[in-house]
Amino acid sequence: MDRSSHPRSRRIAPVVAVAAAAALTLAGCSSSSGGKKSEEGGANASAGKATTPRMTVALVTHQSPGDTFWDIVRKGAEAAAAKDNIKLIYSHDPNAGNQSNLVQNAIDQKVDGIAITLAKPDALKTVVGKAKSANIPVVGLNSGLSDWKKLGLMEFFGQDESVSGEAFGKKLNDLGAKHTVCVIQEQGNVGLTQRCDGVKKTFSGKTDVLYVNGTDMPSVKSTITAKLKQDSSIDYVTALGAPYALTAVQSISDAGSKAKVATFDLNKDLTTAISKGTIQFAVDQQPYLQGYLAIDSLWLYKNNGNYMGGGEQPVLTGPAFVDKSNVEAVSKFAANGTR
Amino acid sequence: MSMTQHAEPAVTSPPAPGPKETDGRTAERPLVVRLLARPEVGVFLGAVAVYVFFLISAPPVRDASSMANILYQSSTLGIVTIPVALLMIGGEFDLSAGVGVITSALTAAMISYQLTMNVWVGVIAALVVSLAIGFFNGWMVVKTGLPSFLVTLGTFLILQGVNLAVTKLVTGNVATDDISNMDGFDQAKKVFASSFDIGGVQVKITVFWWLLFAAIATWVLLRTKYGNWTFAVGGNKDSARAVGVPVAFTKISLFMLVGFGAWFVGMHQLFSFNTVQSGEGVGIELIYISGAVIGGCLLTGGYGSAIGPVFGAFMFGMVQQGIVYAGWNPDWFKAFLGVMLLGAVLINLWVQRTMTRR
Amino acid sequence: MTDNNSGTHGAILQDTVPAEKDGAIVELRNAGKAYGNIRALHGVSLQVHPGQVTCVLGDNGAGKSTLIKIISGLHQHTEGEFLVDGAPVRFTTPRDALDRGIATVYQDLATVPLMPVWRNFFLGSEMTKGPWPIRRLDIEKMKKTADHELREMGIVLDNLEQPIGTLSGGQRQCVAIARAVYFGARVLILDEPTAALGVKQSGVVLKYIAAARERGLGVIFITHNPHHAYMVGDHFSVLRLGTMELSAERSQITLEELTNHMAGGAELAALKHELSQVSGVDVEELPEKEDLTAPVAASPEGTS
Repeated sequence: MDRSSHPRSRRIAPVVAVAAAAALTLAGCSSSSGGKKSEEGGANASAGKATTPRMTVALVTHQSPGDTFWDIVRKGAEAAAAKDNIKLIYSHDPNAGNQSNLVQNAIDQKVDGIAITLAKPDALKTVVGKAKSANIPVVGLNSGLSDWKKLGLMEFFGQDESVSGEAFGKKLNDLGAKHTVCVIQEQGNVGLTQRCDGVKKTFSGKTDVLYVNGTDMPSVKSTITAKLKQDSSIDYVTALGAPYALTAVQSISDAGSKAKVATFDLNKDLTTAISKGTIQFAVDQQPYLQGYLAIDSLWLYKNNGNYMGGGEQPVLTGPAFVDKSNVEAVSKFAANGTR
Repeated sequence: MSMTQHAEPAVTSPPAPGPKETDGRTAERPLVVRLLARPEVGVFLGAVAVYVFFLISAPPVRDASSMANILYQSSTLGIVTIPVALLMIGGEFDLSAGVGVITSALTAAMISYQLTMNVWVGVIAALVVSLAIGFFNGWMVVKTGLPSFLVTLGTFLILQGVNLAVTKLVTGNVATDDISNMDGFDQAKKVFASSFDIGGVQVKITVFWWLLFAAIATWVLLRTKYGNWTFAVGGNKDSARAVGVPVAFTKISLFMLVGFGAWFVGMHQLFSFNTVQSGEGVGIELIYISGAVIGGCLLTGGYGSAIGPVFGAFMFGMVQQGIVYAGWNPDWFKAFLGVMLLGAVLINLWVQRTMTRR
Repeated sequence: MTDNNSGTHGAILQDTVPAEKDGAIVELRNAGKAYGNIRALHGVSLQVHPGQVTCVLGDNGAGKSTLIKIISGLHQHTEGEFLVDGAPVRFTTPRDALDRGIATVYQDLATVPLMPVWRNFFLGSEMTKGPWPIRRLDIEKMKKTADHELREMGIVLDNLEQPIGTLSGGQRQCVAIARAVYFGARVLILDEPTAALGVKQSGVVLKYIAAARERGLGVIFITHNPHHAYMVGDHFSVLRLGTMELSAERSQITLEELTNHMAGGAELAALKHELSQVSGVDVEELPEKEDLTAPVAASPEGTS
């Protein structure tokens, strides 16, 4: 019950004055460097559109919200969908039970094809069977290298996390590393755990695991710093995502450590760091390619009955190592957010 | 005054007592006992216990630079825990504070980058947005009378979705673009994300801001009218309204203070890491609330302090980093964190109980 | 002491001449309050003079709480007039009433149990010192004043820092009254202060009501206990079903008549005739209609 007795006009005048002053100030506040203006118009790779009839494809992954890696997978899938005249339905849930519900959802919508990631193959077995009974072709990508055939998927595109981890470990051996710490940003995430296990398998030195709270970046920084101080024999930090690698660089400087950083997955800031030498290398599974091929393969199967990999073998999209020697070529694409 | 009465009233006023008379029934308790009954002291002892524990079991903790690291971790939690504690004393919860930090950082980053503005423009815009979110929370709670737990849960979910969706819409990615080469960045970094050399150790500026905010908050709580209103509004808001305390103003402004805290940490995060991931912030709101409760604030409101939560945030930082320094098996990490915290709370509770036993 | 701000918060005030010495500070003329189509209160007329205790009696549901809420500023009246110092007013918040010197001690005391006594005493009207922005509470002065005021009313507390919730019911009432007397300055409203108290504690409270009257305050004492009322009252008003049924000076009514009125004696007298025709009911002791000689307030609806 607030009946102010101030007449309206007395309150409007100061508000208008403040707004005018703010507008004038803003006009003079543009930045002379950086920002959107300096960005070269970077469009995704695009081409013409197919004239085949419109299809609907569902892509269901185990992405956690806000994960940069899956963003790139999605971009690849969207590029293929645009080219092939496909309507793409993208859904995701890190919980396997929920992921299988999303697949069921796609079956109910009577899509023409389904592409899924098999982080927990057992949880998806039943729903894949249902898709096949409904005559919907299913392909796999990214996770499930050893299970896709058993489950009856047609094709598989990707690089198993374990295999890329093993390749990573071998590269560390080549570089003469003795002791690495593998930084997991989400405790309990299957893919991340498989990467570290892969590294441990092939790396001849010592591998430690460090859990950090990926949803709180300052906490990630402090925790890595603490670990480096606790054990000064660590000479390599293995990060499992580009943003965490960049934070690890700061932790190393905070801890006064001499360790180096290498990571899985790229983003545009990471390629800059590699060319500057603050990060040694990154393993690229080419997530763009995984998404692209998964969708495109369904189009090819529908319109020409083709199988990639002959129905027998997976189609490998990595590991591609990006280091100082080849980062030039890649950085342009990374800047687009597609590599 | 005409006083023609039918009969003299049976009651007349009592004689005033002598000046030095005392009630005589309460014995004066020793100073030590009285000190120990204060809420801050219990949590202080808990924090000391945790610190000593890790001093013994984790050798790197004895290093001054490790202390700086622990204080840094505590300060990024502590800066928001302080207004969350004040709000709790005022009788309300805010579950949207954690994602609010990210909303603030995203706003500043995207406005600066997309409009190619001096980053300070983005910083001010983010402040306006954070204060507006706080105002919205407070206004909804006051106008509808719904429990703040529900209202801010709604805001929490909305912000979570908005963070992800708007970032995707505006930048095409799940993270914002790098603003480190834009005008004003270096100045802003000095204010929000620099560090000082103290005796050879690099201490982050957030530690100083944290302690400064704590000092201001304590002074306001105990030495100003506004602080008195905060206690009253949390203790019994109907009584407060009846004696003329502006309840709506107090509650809404407390929510806006939480917005300010979220903005500050959001700015720190932006200027430390140059980019912001849109999915962050979920889960931290419970740590803020725990820090406040460990610090002695009653969940039901009306009681607490601003210093206790400082020690509460310190305890969190200490335990989280201490486990790493001690080199324990990281799979047990979350379990250790829980056990240590329960232990600290129980010590706090035991101290409170024994000291206030009548 | 409070200062009287003029023209704040939408109170409709005319330039007032100072009230005459015996004029009513607070007056209700045919006032009423309706919530939607429920008339909680109607046709209530009341006057509060300085140095007098006006008792408002009535059973539960009679409308006493609504009456107080109107005078204390928590609600607004929807019928009739509400005058302070002879001029019509319309309070929008309790702050308005407090600023005019009207202090209320509510049934639930309006205290915050966890806060110390001195903070409760000054809640909403804290004393401050120093310039803005470092205006701070004048804690020493507040503690001293609270202690002094409580002693004036005969309450001695060892430690003003103790939470007010740790005091006994009677002590809390007295603190609340002392607070209202200190800030009230002119009119003190007490909402059923003795309702939940034992005999001894009630006696203490009644003494403080008398003390307030001695200091020149006008007191409105609401109760459903006619004995307590008769011990301190100068004027008695009885509310029933939202309207005023009786309004009498002390000189015009005895305790017995008052009690009978409260107990619904008028109704019983009317029933006496009917009951006398039913065998087995002893009607000898019940008063006759003529025995109830107290004047009844004229109301538009007529009396029951």
